[in-house]
Amino acid sequence: MPVDSFKYLPRSIAAYYQTLRVERVDSIPWTPLSKPLNQCRFALVTTAGIYDKAREPPFDAGREKREPMWGDPTYRRIRRDLAQGQIGASHLHINNRDILADVNIVLPVNRFAELEEEGVIGSLAAVNYSLMGYQPNTSEWRARYAPEVAGLLKDEALDAVLLTPA
Amino acid sequence: MLAQTFEEAGLSTVMVTMMPFWAEKMGTPRTLGVEVPFGHTLGMPGDREMQKMIIRAALSLLEQAQQPGAMSEVEVEWPQASDVARKDWQPLEASPIIKMMREQAHARAEGRRQET
Repeated sequence: MPVDSFKYLPRSIAAYYQTLRVERVDSIPWTPLSKPLNQCRFALVTTAGIYDKAREPPFDAGREKREPMWGDPTYRRIRRDLAQGQIGASHLHINNRDILADVNIVLPVNRFAELEEEGVIGSLAAVNYSLMGYQPNTSEWRARYAPEVAGLLKDEALDAVLLTPA
Repeated sequence: MLAQTFEEAGLSTVMVTMMPFWAEKMGTPRTLGVEVPFGHTLGMPGDREMQKMIIRAALSLLEQAQQPGAMSEVEVEWPQASDVARKDWQPLEASPIIKMMREQAHARAEGRRQET
């Protein structure tokens, strides 16, 4: 049975989403996987709006409250060895309770560390990334932050990325 | 949009999403659809098996996809009843945009009421 993208949305929001026009790219970019999975160096990128409380500030929820049509376009670094207690969550559009109980449901650092140990993947990056998925206007992502994160990932000679929205 | 940027930069990406509707509209290199509530992309907290199952399905897609726009799905048995899950993922306080839209709707209704 196909996934119902609207299953958990209130009907009014589902109806609204279905009216939105989305720009489709002319051709979807493609980088074929260049090596077996067990040699691939992975990074994790989520848009769940989480951050490492010990090292970086939260996303700017205050500004979003003042300007509801704005979402913080910046990114945060999430080290693979951070403890659950260090996770902060800034997303204003979801209940963050379960993410604060187990970060793996949006950024599977522990699960990937296990896959690395089992030899299923080559390795998990030391630094992974988090962004804020609420972006009514993606122009800052496009112009600055997405290319910046892409550059940081390439600098670490990574092969593949698992992307997880909230 | 992030997937496209990373893929263009030479990284192979796979995205897990509860809204494959969007991925299909926008054109994502590899998408795994999963029917779960928002904020729970890889499953329930503490459920290592469910998380690993979804991740393994994403890794399979990454390995097997032959061309851009590849999509597959993995079936998840969500432990909550749908009507419970539909409320449970929502923030405790309405988001600023929802608040704003409600205020605007209220103001419009007030305006109409005063006209009559």
